[in-house]
Amino acid sequence: MPPPWSNERASDKDRSNLAVNPQGPPFLEMRGIVKRFPGVLANNGVTLAVGHGEIHALLGENGAGKSTLMQILYGFHQRDAGDILIEGRPARIESPKQAIALGIGMVHQEFMLVHSMTVVENAVLGLNLSIRRLLDLKRAAAALQALSDRHGLAVDPHAVVGHLPVGAQQRVEIIKLLYRDVRLLILDEPTAVLTPQEKDGLFAVLRRLARDGRSVVIVTHKLHEIMEVADRVTVMRDGRVAASVRTSETSPRGLARLMVGRDVALRADKQAVARGPAVLRVENLAARDAAGETRLHGLSLDLHAGEILGIAGVDGNGQAQLAQALMQLCPVTSGRVWIGGQDVTRLSPAGRRAAGMAYVPADRRHVGSVAELSMIDNAALGTQARRARAGGLIRDEGADRGFAKALAARFSVRAAHLGQPAGTLSGGNLQKLVLGREMMREPAILIVEQPTRGLDAGAVEAVWGELLAARAGGMAVLLISADLEEILNLADRIAVMSGGRIAGTLPAAHASAERLGLMMAGAPAPDAQPLAAVEASA
Amino acid sequence: MTPVVVRRPGPNGSPAAIAFHTALAVLAALALAGALFAVQGADPLAAYAALFSEAFGTMRGFGFSLVRATPLALIALGTVVAWRSGFGYLGFEGCFMVGAAAATAAALASAEGRMLAPLPSWLALALAMLASFAAGGAWAGLVGLVRTRLGANEVLVSLMTNYVGLLGVQYLISGPMRAPGGLPQSERVPSDVWLPFVIPGSRAHAGILLTVAAAGLVWFLLRRTPLGYELIVAGLNPAAARYGGIEVGRRVLLASVLAGGLGALAGMAELLGVQHRLVDGMGGGVGFTGVVVALLARLNPLAVVPLAVLYGGMTVGADAMQRGAGIPSSIAAILQSLIVLLILASERLRYYRLNPSLFRLGRDRAGAAPGRPAGP
Repeated sequence: MPPPWSNERASDKDRSNLAVNPQGPPFLEMRGIVKRFPGVLANNGVTLAVGHGEIHALLGENGAGKSTLMQILYGFHQRDAGDILIEGRPARIESPKQAIALGIGMVHQEFMLVHSMTVVENAVLGLNLSIRRLLDLKRAAAALQALSDRHGLAVDPHAVVGHLPVGAQQRVEIIKLLYRDVRLLILDEPTAVLTPQEKDGLFAVLRRLARDGRSVVIVTHKLHEIMEVADRVTVMRDGRVAASVRTSETSPRGLARLMVGRDVALRADKQAVARGPAVLRVENLAARDAAGETRLHGLSLDLHAGEILGIAGVDGNGQAQLAQALMQLCPVTSGRVWIGGQDVTRLSPAGRRAAGMAYVPADRRHVGSVAELSMIDNAALGTQARRARAGGLIRDEGADRGFAKALAARFSVRAAHLGQPAGTLSGGNLQKLVLGREMMREPAILIVEQPTRGLDAGAVEAVWGELLAARAGGMAVLLISADLEEILNLADRIAVMSGGRIAGTLPAAHASAERLGLMMAGAPAPDAQPLAAVEASA
Repeated sequence: MTPVVVRRPGPNGSPAAIAFHTALAVLAALALAGALFAVQGADPLAAYAALFSEAFGTMRGFGFSLVRATPLALIALGTVVAWRSGFGYLGFEGCFMVGAAAATAAALASAEGRMLAPLPSWLALALAMLASFAAGGAWAGLVGLVRTRLGANEVLVSLMTNYVGLLGVQYLISGPMRAPGGLPQSERVPSDVWLPFVIPGSRAHAGILLTVAAAGLVWFLLRRTPLGYELIVAGLNPAAARYGGIEVGRRVLLASVLAGGLGALAGMAELLGVQHRLVDGMGGGVGFTGVVVALLARLNPLAVVPLAVLYGGMTVGADAMQRGAGIPSSIAAILQSLIVLLILASERLRYYRLNPSLFRLGRDRAGAAPGRPAGP
């Protein structure tokens, strides 16, 4: 049998015959799946059924077992027990290649694309092309164009992937799978990197695919998106299925309760706090990234005591460089920074810390902590000389341990013992450690970058509570987040970054996801006020 | 079929597991080298007995072991400081020679009628040590500067500096520092600046005491001071270090100076404790063997001295074996290499463990993980 993805097939085969007898078996059934890792029962009798033309959401906290389940389906892991049935027939899936042959494809969170190659070159990459036949890219491009038109993907087969925006790259991943005639698409956290408009576009594509008879599984923990796009949702908790329900018969609150096993405050409880004086002033800040490209183009902002200023924006619009430039961690080419009237433009990271700044970086594993060192040593990072004896020459181990202990208690960092390496902490506990360490210094200014990315609902709740408590205590918080829900819930003012500049600033009361989304996409907000006007009105 | 060993998700890092696998590796190396003895027609057990009784059984032999261990341990300590701080320095062979040359120059300056002659001999000795440390620190510090200022690769640059150091000393002893006579060597340094012998009836000199003190100091620096904390964080994760307000470049530069100084002290100890004059080829690879000792010690300064004594002792024993039983001493070198190789290879073993389902008496075999067939 020729491979199912020869060049002819993609263009010649009529794809409209996917319609299936609705009384027949569902496209995919996973029954009683068990997967044991040493010390962990990742999947414990999981059952999942996805019908033809169904958009199925897989919901769960980190560690609930949803990734394991999908990796078993995609052939990365082998199940210890249970059955997988494709259209009613038992299937063996021992590698991603077999999964694709069975019509199952996956779009990973990190795209698997070669940036310097065109869309069509990426699409044929990895196919078992015969070396005796010439590579017929023209024909493949025509097939891709047809697929793109048919599903409304708006992908140019000849575009170089590296030049495409993130949303389009994601559609390239989807078209790659369609080119392999995949019948079930798994998307892992597909909206994490998208603007609200791009997200709407993706959902439209997914609905079209479903109408076409293809099945979609989206792995996510964003409740609103599930309600918006999915037909059914399976909620996983502790390696088991907590429930599998139609979205029309549930609510975000109900799903959250199923996911966590208790009620969760999805709305942060924000009290009114009197805004204090400006403690941070930034003028015309410009900075480059590690590759030497200018990512911040003359940005100015003010930050007041007792307020949370939210910086919204799609990832990669200079937010990371803003945070790093404020801490002097990336090359700053121009601009000035004042902390409470003191010009700190020329101060080193240590100098800025001493002047009252603290920073929780987005990459808590590789920048915010040292994986190999213990919790005690990680708690000391940034204040290593503070608790020392003999004029700062000798570390006071007792004081360091006491500090770590107080930190773990106040921020409920759960660990086996304080000597545990930070690298072995869960994402939520590590974030609480990093956030707590920065907050324990009682800085005047706290910069937090993507503070809840990848955290589960319980940890999100804890982090939000701490940020609001800091604000109530008079701290000035700069909250950089790609998660609009987080910004809308926490911030007093919201500035939207686009292309390395602030596209506009709104008081939180005037903001909505739609309006911010337009600004994030670079469209001028119709009535966004300049910063000064917002200051005056606030 | 149930496999006997299964793969762990990560290596077992417990001290017991490390000790067990290290012991296993050493035993395997002894067995393999034992086969070589057998090929030579010698009884492996007797050969091993000869090897270790010479190195550790007599005061005289043990003294030799300490003499061999001193430069190894000092270079290993330099390696610990450099590598822990993320500075992959490999220029200890050159440092050793530079340190020896600087110690020679300072010691010769205290000879009769020269500049430092009026000084008491202990002060002259201290000055020689200081000169040696400073010369080595500057030597390696230059590499540190090139790395932190220009972003050069310190591994390559430091390897190249070895040749500069070796050939530089060759030039010195055939030119400016050459003693009258036929051989390219320096004058003998006055005996009152020699490192004193510390064990009666053996060649062990005070360098070993210096080494033990250095090991303690390095341990204290790395484990008990904020400065050492900053060095270690800079070595493990420069991004996190910068984020934490640590000036990574300056810390790396400091580490390079300390490492170079320690490497130079090794040369000083060999010169003022053993050779007493600068000659060509004094190092003989000690700059690299010292790095191996540091790796065997897992960059733990407290483990460096005992391992260096063990390593040096095996060389001493091998020489005795060759003299006594006529077995080539290269077999001991092979044994040393085998030990290093197998200890490094044993790291892989820690990724595996005995299949737990073998011990469950068949209770829930059916549901147990089939596991990947695994084996080292």
